Amino acid sequence: MQTEEFLREATALPGLSGNEQAVAQYIADAFRPYCDEVRIDALNSVIARIHGRGPRVMLCAHLDEIGLMVAKIEADGALRLRSVGGVDPRILPGMRVTVYGRETLMGVIGAKAPHLLNDAQRQKNYTLDELYIDLGMPAEQARMAVRIGDCVALEGGYTKLLNDRVATKTADDRSCVAIMLRTAQLLQRMDTTADLYFVASCQEEVGGYGAMTAGFGVDPDFGIVLDVTHAKTPGVSELDAFEIDSPTVAKGPYLHPYLRQKLEEIAKEQHVTIQDEILPRDTSTDADDLEAVRCGVPCVLLSLPVRYMHTSVETFDMRALEESARLLANYCLAINHTWRDALWI
Amino acid sequence: MDLKQLCEIHAPSGSENILRRLIFDEAKEACGAENVRIDRMGNVLCRKKGTGVGRPHVCVSAHMDEVGFIVMGATEEGLLRFRPIGGIDPRVVISKRVLVGEGMLPGVIGAIAIHLQTRADREKVLGYDSLYIDIGAKDRSEALEKCPPGSYACFDAPYTPFGEGFICAKALDDRVGCYNMLKLLRESYPGDVTFAFVTREEVGMRGSAGAAYAIQPDLVINLEGTAANDLGEADNPFEVCCAGKGVAISFMDNSSVYQRKLYQKLTRLAQINQIAHQPKRGVTAVNDAANYQRAAGGALACTLSVPCRYIHSGASVCSLADVDAQYALTRAFLLNA
Repeated sequence: MQTEEFLREATALPGLSGNEQAVAQYIADAFRPYCDEVRIDALNSVIARIHGRGPRVMLCAHLDEIGLMVAKIEADGALRLRSVGGVDPRILPGMRVTVYGRETLMGVIGAKAPHLLNDAQRQKNYTLDELYIDLGMPAEQARMAVRIGDCVALEGGYTKLLNDRVATKTADDRSCVAIMLRTAQLLQRMDTTADLYFVASCQEEVGGYGAMTAGFGVDPDFGIVLDVTHAKTPGVSELDAFEIDSPTVAKGPYLHPYLRQKLEEIAKEQHVTIQDEILPRDTSTDADDLEAVRCGVPCVLLSLPVRYMHTSVETFDMRALEESARLLANYCLAINHTWRDALWI
Repeated sequence: MDLKQLCEIHAPSGSENILRRLIFDEAKEACGAENVRIDRMGNVLCRKKGTGVGRPHVCVSAHMDEVGFIVMGATEEGLLRFRPIGGIDPRVVISKRVLVGEGMLPGVIGAIAIHLQTRADREKVLGYDSLYIDIGAKDRSEALEKCPPGSYACFDAPYTPFGEGFICAKALDDRVGCYNMLKLLRESYPGDVTFAFVTREEVGMRGSAGAAYAIQPDLVINLEGTAANDLGEADNPFEVCCAGKGVAISFMDNSSVYQRKLYQKLTRLAQINQIAHQPKRGVTAVNDAANYQRAAGGALACTLSVPCRYIHSGASVCSLADVDAQYALTRAFLLNA
């Protein structure tokens, strides 16, 4: 399957944290032709395996997404909302959404019109409490169609920009699931020593619970975590944001220096540009949870820079995605028994 | 043209060319080329001779243009700096898609990720000086080569039916009026009627100023889309009109005090013909009726509006029944005037 086709389809499927069935099923099917076994675990993480006799290695990119949940239905049929994961309310006014009620419905996010606000209110962003979903139907019908706790996915769309850049919803983190898929494709008919587990984890946006539970099941020797990081945009400190055109590899106390050093070596050998990302504490990715599974799992973190994270127009560079996959495929090929012994001495 | 086609055409104020051409052609086909002209303001004026005698000359007007954006420059990183054309609250543009320039290049409007915001960032509205359009350009020179300053941009937003008889689209203000006029000009009426499709309403009602003088009608029915504010507030003293409850008849707005006689006549006609209608209760917005009422020696004018939620965004919402009610009431008036 072509990466673009996968991304177009995978980013369009609903998968709010805790309710990832639809996208999990799709991702499991996408991995099946390239893997020896594929399963979906109890929490909706997809675990796809390419057999090997060497160390168990778990690649991990999360499949869940941020979104909204119906918290209250007002007397006039407007839906009040709570967020699932870190939704920025600034992106919501005037957004089209999909409500997964008794049936799948389109809705529009509305707010009190600006000319009804006083000057002070106009200077402030709407909070989630002030916003609502308009279903374009009478209140009685809205109450029939939608229940408290129904999921709401943000506006979709897959837009190709100049220079192989793509703007889409849920590039966080399905772009990295695409890197894993591409890696599995590149490893076809290659003789890998490592026993490879490609895990598309659930519930990252609410706390790394998919990586925690799938990690327990896989019990890997090493973890390779893939997530998005911030690409440079105006007004962002250069310490927090990176060039959009190549992946970053993180350095810091939550990540293993040896695994990172090996990744640097292979990047150099393969002429893949990587950027340093320094993380002085936790990584805010699945690595934080995977690293502490069972007796511990040494992890390396590779990140794809994305502009406008947690919006519906997350923008990344397709070439950076391709290069990340090429780097990882070579990395997976290089892993062998000696790595376990070399970790600490 | 159907409403979907009309809404999806890009015609920000001052850049109405594509829409003008389509309306011009359709009007000529419907009314004969000799009855349709484009005036000096770029308005399309279509005059239909009445079947009777001694009737007043009525003008029905709607504006072709929509709110949009214009490119001002680019940053070093290749992001387009822009400003709105017409009144677009900057709070509705973040995380939305746009199409830029004649080549309709796709772009997105992003903002600093929530993870990197301070508490103050979260509260403060990002104004147009802090927003930009990302077309994927590598640097300033590539950005400006693809989208030179002065390039127009519009919301990249489809026309989508949803809910119970509702639609979501950009530019409902005022393609609903254009749509109904294109239907109305296919019929005949006892009096002379001029249909005016005007330009640049959203930037200060420029087109209608010329049209009003050129036409000098006796009576004017201005067809609009207007903000509704009818949802999400249990008791809303500011509710202007309700989407789905009929065409809104204006007694006053921020640019005109409409003549009472005409307001009452339209309300009575709606009652007699059982056309769903409501008074526009809020005194909000300005529109072309002001120009028609005051041009030359003055005229009787009124505005009939389709209630639109989230007007001036890429996701404005209205009821198709209200669009039809606007048509029905205007038609009833033209047959009776």
